[in-house]
Amino acid sequence: MEFSLRQLISARRHRLIILVPILALAFLFLASPPDGQERSPWLLFAGKFHLLTIHFPIALLYLVPLLELVGRHKRFPHLRASVEFMLMLGLLASLFAASLGWALARNGGYSGRIVTQHMWGGLLTALACWLCWILRDHAASRRGNIVYWAALATTVALVSWTGYRGGQLTQGENHLTDGMPAALQTLLGISTDDSNATGATTTVAVVARNTFYGAHVEPIFAKNCYSCHGRNKQRGKLRLDSYKAILRGGKHGAVIKAGNIAGSELFHRINLPQTDDNAMPPSDKQRLTPDEIKTIEAWIEAGASETSPLNAVQGAPTNVAAALKEIELPEYDPSIADKSRSTHAADVAALQKRYPDLLQYESRTSAMLSLNASLAGEKFGDRDLASFKPVLEQIRTADFSGTSISDHSSDLIASMKNLRLLRLSHTRVTDDGVKRLHDLAYLQSINLLGTQVTSAMLGTIASMPKMEHLYVANTRITPASANTPTLKQKLIF
Amino acid sequence: MREHDYDDPKTYCDPHIAEEPERAALTGMLPAEKFASLQAQTRRHFLRNFTAGVGTMFLGASLPELCRSLHAADRGIDGNLRIDFVRDPSNPLSVLPPQLAPTAKRIIYLHMAGAPSQLELFDYKPDLAHLDGKDCPLSFLAGKRFAFITGVPKLLGPQYPFHRAGQSGQWISDRLPHLEKHVDDLCFIKSMKTDQFNHAPAQLLVQTGNARLGYASIGSWVTYGLGTENQNLPGFIVLISGGNMPDGGKQLWGSGFLPSVYQGVQCQSHGDPVLYLKNPEGVSRQARRSMLDVVDEINRQEHKEFGDPETVSRIAQYEMAFRMQIEATDTMDIHKESAATLAAYGAKPGEASFANNCLVARRLAERGVRFIQLYHWGWDSHGAAAKEALNLGFQDRCRETDQPIGALLDDLKQRGMLEDTLVVWGGEFGRTSMKENRNGGSPFVGRDHNPGAFTIWMAGGGVKSGYTHGETDAMGYEIVKDPVEVRDLHATMLYALGFDHRKLNYPYQGLEQKLTTVNPARVVGEVLA
Repeated sequence: MEFSLRQLISARRHRLIILVPILALAFLFLASPPDGQERSPWLLFAGKFHLLTIHFPIALLYLVPLLELVGRHKRFPHLRASVEFMLMLGLLASLFAASLGWALARNGGYSGRIVTQHMWGGLLTALACWLCWILRDHAASRRGNIVYWAALATTVALVSWTGYRGGQLTQGENHLTDGMPAALQTLLGISTDDSNATGATTTVAVVARNTFYGAHVEPIFAKNCYSCHGRNKQRGKLRLDSYKAILRGGKHGAVIKAGNIAGSELFHRINLPQTDDNAMPPSDKQRLTPDEIKTIEAWIEAGASETSPLNAVQGAPTNVAAALKEIELPEYDPSIADKSRSTHAADVAALQKRYPDLLQYESRTSAMLSLNASLAGEKFGDRDLASFKPVLEQIRTADFSGTSISDHSSDLIASMKNLRLLRLSHTRVTDDGVKRLHDLAYLQSINLLGTQVTSAMLGTIASMPKMEHLYVANTRITPASANTPTLKQKLIF
Repeated sequence: MREHDYDDPKTYCDPHIAEEPERAALTGMLPAEKFASLQAQTRRHFLRNFTAGVGTMFLGASLPELCRSLHAADRGIDGNLRIDFVRDPSNPLSVLPPQLAPTAKRIIYLHMAGAPSQLELFDYKPDLAHLDGKDCPLSFLAGKRFAFITGVPKLLGPQYPFHRAGQSGQWISDRLPHLEKHVDDLCFIKSMKTDQFNHAPAQLLVQTGNARLGYASIGSWVTYGLGTENQNLPGFIVLISGGNMPDGGKQLWGSGFLPSVYQGVQCQSHGDPVLYLKNPEGVSRQARRSMLDVVDEINRQEHKEFGDPETVSRIAQYEMAFRMQIEATDTMDIHKESAATLAAYGAKPGEASFANNCLVARRLAERGVRFIQLYHWGWDSHGAAAKEALNLGFQDRCRETDQPIGALLDDLKQRGMLEDTLVVWGGEFGRTSMKENRNGGSPFVGRDHNPGAFTIWMAGGGVKSGYTHGETDAMGYEIVKDPVEVRDLHATMLYALGFDHRKLNYPYQGLEQKLTTVNPARVVGEVLA
């Protein structure tokens, strides 16, 4: 046998020495695995460099087969000369990075399947790399060559798999499939349906969404807490990814006391200012929104039950949200108006030319009009209003304050079917004219300030269906005329 | 193709070879000559022309698109349609309809410069009274910066008794008996906050949306967006009640990057309403007209030559001043009001006072002025001197403003104008729950600046009446419910006037400039009726 163990040992004895740190690391992994506890901040700090250093051995180990392959070409034989150095460097670097990784996992509150697999994957990679290093000396023979390449393939496979697991730890379990084009997903038969792909829900009991806990509380924990208090990490020995785990609490005991806000550590922590060391989520994470805090508060106060139905929790922010009135701001689209204005746009344009500034569209997207004749003052009379005949139905607000219009215009005003607001203050209108407006179904406000009207017209006008305000100061109407409660409410002096 | 020896400058620089292709192209040649010219094309020529060719190809392919994106003036950076504010340059204040159906047509903004204490007027904190004189909790001071407070100050209880008023039962102190009658018309926001704790930047923030100089004021934005109804008066008028100018200075009604025709016009409530508006002695209106005609003609020629839009706005402003000579003088003249009205406001013609300004504001609103801005002064109640102490000067400020504001609201309501006029009252920040004790044991009581919480109120123009939005903590120090940023208030005011605050914008310095800035603003829907 060309590569018997004996020969191997005798020829390259010093290479066995490097097995010592590999085995030592394995012992460390077995003796003190990551268990979700947080320990030395110093080691944790050092461990954070795992993420940085790890990419060095990865690159080296991928380079090895590449150099071997390219080096076979007659033009690049020199490439193969560096392979042995690469293997040794990759091995040392991976051991160094792996120990940092252990420091991170052991001290940073990690635990769970993925971190364990990642950890042992890293160690096996180092071992496989070591094996390649040994076997390369015997690659001259055909058989030795096959064994060497098998070892090399194993190394690459292990690096890839371990790297993927590491990615899952830092980027989330579906970091590769999340953004994958849908076509590729179907091709590969990957389902991104949450119920299958999210690790959390596969182990956690299915949450009933028809309970308050399931519908409102669990999603808050899932969004804000699972990354450190879930399956993969249990900082402070606390898991929040199931109702049972929440009740069990963490290393300091229960975090929630049913019906007792003040005694619930969890509620205390989420309300601490972000600068507080004990604040949750910690300072580098997104805070809970006031509504989320209110939801949890209401839930705890109502007994922190897993099963109580949606409506059993009082003061929950679903009600709070209803109190907030979000204003919809529609996209600006003037073309809406083009169509609805088509019937009278030409008339409006002509009137706008003749009476500058008096006639405007209510808004840029509306076909309705606003007429402010008061700007023209006494110059504006009954005859002028007559020229507005083609657009009367589109007028929604009309201000004739201080103009010289009189009762002769009443019929024109009465045909402004969509009128909501009418100002006739300081004009010559009288009771007769005003009474003729009784058919204006949408009129909400009429201003008769300083006119000759008397309480004789009040009955007719105040009983109009939409009428809210009648401005009657400086008329012959006195507060004494407001003899019914409705009139009292509508009349303004 | 001939290989050149590039080390030989003679071959390399042969002008004959370099020029030949161009000449060939110009003259049009026989095939044999053409062939010869092609023979003269070197690799060097190819490479030189090739780069230009590729560049041309790139431009040919992408230039139309680049131009489209640069000149798509009808679409904003979000790809949605922009609102077109283009007007006839000779009529820059002409009315444009708002984007959405408005609930207010104009705004009267009563700015109490110096920041009145919410804790002495509207934000009633009985717990603070119990803790009066106690050391302020250290948590109030952590991470906070104050204009004047140093060390650990004492808490200061409300200085005036509060009671519930009106059908809405809102708390109000005994300093505002006239406003109290309108408490059911008011909509309080008790959870206003700002990020500025000094007067000038805080006033700029409130008035221009930005704490730095050079931005357009609310009134400028509004007149830019809507124009003004009365072409014989400015669309944006500013009235100051004598005393000090607000710290923010004239920038508070500046137009920033908007055309200067939209800046506020400061009018005086005593003497000539607008300085130099009157014709000088011996100049008739006819003579003035002839002079303007000549000046306008010169300006028009200037505009033809240089195309500066500001020239057109200068012509427009001369013309407006000419029209204003009659109407502005008439509007500002409160002698025309009855003695009863003058008494209701406490106005005395010829004086510079907030009362006169309130009356003028009503007259301006009646005549269709779009944005009327009043500034009162002296609300900076630090307690360092009698005139600004909560127990002395503050009372005078209340007296000076309470009756006129009450009368203004009375008038607007009686005339039906509260239906489409939005009245806004407020300072630039709030005051602390702690006593400021700058001069040791002085008899004057005062509070420092508190940007963390202040109260404003609005009335009319589509806001709820008899309503309170937001809440501060038991000390009145920090907001505990529904905080409202200044830009949220701006967005809400613009919404009442019929604008989506994002759409009322102006391209400047590569940005769609907005009153509400680039930060997200929220229309406070809860206060809208």
